[in-house]
Amino acid sequence: MWLIEFRDVHKTYETGNEALKGVSVKIEEGEFVFIVGASGAGKSTFLKLIMREEVATSGEVIVSNFKLSKLKRRQIPYLRRAMGIVFQDFRLINTMTVFDNVAFAMRVVGASHREIRRRVPYVLGLVGLQHKAKNFPMELSGGEQQRVGLARALVNNPSLIIADEPTGNIDPELSYEIMELLTEINRRGTTVLVVTHEHELVKSFGRRVIEIRDGLVLSDSKEVPHEV
Amino acid sequence: MRFNTFRYLVREGVRSLRQNLFMSAASILVLVSCLLITGCAYLVFENVEHAFDWAYQQNVVVAYAVDTTTDEQATALKTTLDGMDNVAEVEYISKEALLDRYKDEFGEVLEDLAADNPLQDAFVIRFVDLERFDETVAAIRAVEGVEKVDFDQELSQTLVKVRDVVMTVGVWVIALLLAVSLFIIANTIKLTVYSRRLEISIMRSVGATSWFVRFPFMVEGVILGGAAGALGYGLLFAVYEVIRRNFTFTGSLSLIPFTAVWWQLLLGFLVGGMLTGLLGSTFSMGRYLRETAE
Repeated sequence: MWLIEFRDVHKTYETGNEALKGVSVKIEEGEFVFIVGASGAGKSTFLKLIMREEVATSGEVIVSNFKLSKLKRRQIPYLRRAMGIVFQDFRLINTMTVFDNVAFAMRVVGASHREIRRRVPYVLGLVGLQHKAKNFPMELSGGEQQRVGLARALVNNPSLIIADEPTGNIDPELSYEIMELLTEINRRGTTVLVVTHEHELVKSFGRRVIEIRDGLVLSDSKEVPHEV
Repeated sequence: MRFNTFRYLVREGVRSLRQNLFMSAASILVLVSCLLITGCAYLVFENVEHAFDWAYQQNVVVAYAVDTTTDEQATALKTTLDGMDNVAEVEYISKEALLDRYKDEFGEVLEDLAADNPLQDAFVIRFVDLERFDETVAAIRAVEGVEKVDFDQELSQTLVKVRDVVMTVGVWVIALLLAVSLFIIANTIKLTVYSRRLEISIMRSVGATSWFVRFPFMVEGVILGGAAGALGYGLLFAVYEVIRRNFTFTGSLSLIPFTAVWWQLLLGFLVGGMLTGLLGSTFSMGRYLRETAE
């Protein structure tokens, strides 16, 4: 079953910048996909369309059976609850503990105290940070902070994880660790979409790679493109 | 909304207030000033109304019946006057009773007049609405059996003018202060919103509804407004009572006691403060959410 489908999607911004020029892509449930491409190629727009931060100028984007062009503003939060997002800059709240940062995502969707107390330690355990629950983000390394971000993305049990340059702000040796975690999450049945430009990392995992260049899908294969 | 979520959002609102303590205190003080001036305008208006009522009691029109009026005609005339539009009260004083009053006042000098009373039957009339003074006097003049009408038009006209000016100025002052208060609250909330934009972006990315994002800011606005209302009310009470006790007027006119309007003011301050806070935060938050990406 298709989780994400792009049907001849065009996106032109008000500035006249044509970010996507007819992209057609299908991503199945349970897949692990790398989205690669140089800066300005259209990767961010691709993600923004999936998250419904932007709307396609023409064509259709379908995510979890939501036709995004027809999605009403008040339905957007429910679409986003079906996905977990990992940011390059972690986006952790420094005045909250690790536990609270993760619990925050559950509170937003109206989870009870009991659910939070049960679920957060479990997810922190999955990313290997159970012992850091009471620490604040500034007390953690970059890799650990990204693992907190990953725990937050996972805590509401989404069917799709979108990681936007998840290893962009951490040491290379820790990047592999994060990708391993994402692989493990995928192994448990969650679809994972990773945007990156780290060629070696993509190569070493041997997964499906969609390369976007100048607003078009240049290649879509399990092979790593030559220039990333 | 679950109770847990409600409690969490209220706590978030309070936390935000504490984190922006300086701005919160500043906006409470500005709002207190605005509410105080509004409260003062209201008290001035109430006191003018009070003075108006007092003066109204002193301000009467006297209609004199024609010389040849019999007792029956006088009674009929009183009935006619009583039934007229805008007439609140008619007191009939026969020319004999009138003479007796003058005798009491001026003594034996008037004793000789008893045989040939030169006075006329009089009707002391009070109006419902002094603004319709002229038309009512004209209507009384037109009543058959009324010879002339005496009155002090200047006093009534001055009172009407004063009341109109106070009303107009009061409404404008209050409207202006309301706009200033809204602006201040909206700006305070805007600063809070910007200081918490990371949280807001995370909330949105994990699927928070618009209400969930807005609610803590609305709580913050309501608390700011409510606190300003309570503080302003206390200050107004203290200041007004000091003024009232140290100000004395001639005669029976005095400032109304605070207790006469305490609940209207309390309601106005609390509801006004909270509504201003709520509107300010709603406005500010709505604008921010529209300006930033979905």
